[in-house]
Amino acid sequence: MSERYVRHPDLRLADVEGDGVVLHLGSRRYFSVSESGLALLQALEAPRTLPELVDVLLERYEVTPEQAEASVRQFLETCRTADLLVPESGG
Amino acid sequence: MMTTGIAVQCADPALRTALEAWLGGLRLAAPPGLALDVAVMDGDFESLPTTVFEQPDVKFGPGPGNRGIRLTWDYAPALADVPAGASVATVRLSPDAVRHLERCTRTFLMAVVIVLLRRAGWYHLHAATAIDPSGLGWLVAGNAHVGKSTTAALLAATGWQVGTDDAAFLARDQDRILVHTCHAPIALREGGRRLLARAGGVVLPNRGKVGFWPEDLGGVWTPLVSPDIVIFPTVGKVRTTAEPMARKDALTELVRWSAWVMLEPDLAQEHLDVLTRLTGQARCFRVTLGRDLFTRPNRLIELVT
Repeated sequence: MSERYVRHPDLRLADVEGDGVVLHLGSRRYFSVSESGLALLQALEAPRTLPELVDVLLERYEVTPEQAEASVRQFLETCRTADLLVPESGG
Repeated sequence: MMTTGIAVQCADPALRTALEAWLGGLRLAAPPGLALDVAVMDGDFESLPTTVFEQPDVKFGPGPGNRGIRLTWDYAPALADVPAGASVATVRLSPDAVRHLERCTRTFLMAVVIVLLRRAGWYHLHAATAIDPSGLGWLVAGNAHVGKSTTAALLAATGWQVGTDDAAFLARDQDRILVHTCHAPIALREGGRRLLARAGGVVLPNRGKVGFWPEDLGGVWTPLVSPDIVIFPTVGKVRTTAEPMARKDALTELVRWSAWVMLEPDLAQEHLDVLTRLTGQARCFRVTLGRDLFTRPNRLIELVT
């Protein structure tokens, strides 16, 4: 059983020439995110596993699978701390 | 006189006339079909179970059934419901609220109108608006004390067209974002009046400010601006400076000064999209307003063009 993630339903995203601005309606906070962070948050509109999120980065950037996985893990940790994700359990 | 698209339904003819006069005086060319359904009643007014947003005198919470917005007034009992998707706001005023109608319209009912206008795709932004002599549209965004009103008055005195010194409404018009404004006096504190060396004006009750119509300052009021330039000012000392901003940084500033974007999940994405589109339409600058602007008002134009 692998953990799946989906972005918090209170999030709203804006794409500004690749970079992102994110609103969290629940906490009424807003912040900017990098191009890769925006790509991951866009992918997280639907539930995703860690390998699926790694694929998102591999499709967009010239990085190794190990670098992509490290980036995704760091991103997910940041998102968890900021309450940007809702964990799901999936098969 | 009635250029507003907001109708008033009220069984009290004197109150209806007063509210129509207020809305008419705003000269806000609001989309048709919006209405305030106003009743005066005694008795207890419910308090908000939770407050999600507040501004001076006014609190906002979820409406009945957790949909839409309910507003209450702190100054005297008054309550309004603006259901999600509705074009009519239901307003209940106590007799005490009606006795303070000028304050009630300026704070409470204006807030109701702002919520109602969101239903029609008009999104509030704390900003002054102007059109320079070459026809470029300007937005000066920020809260109180950043120089919006003093700048608006200075520009009006220099012959610019000025729309508002505070309340702008952004709306899509095909590929452009246009900004609508009310006809209201530019409200100056003592410091602003001193800098502009202006006497006269109209004392604005309960606000500690004096109002000047753009026309009284030598300018022309404009109800509509198509922004080409957005500036986020702070007050400096001597020299006016301008620094170009990345779109992402400009958007976070616009979100900051358009706080209503956080209200009502159903409308938040469209509100955010309008702000985002504005950052693509207009060039955005962080500006420090210096004293030199009072001797060289066109320095603003020189800095951004």
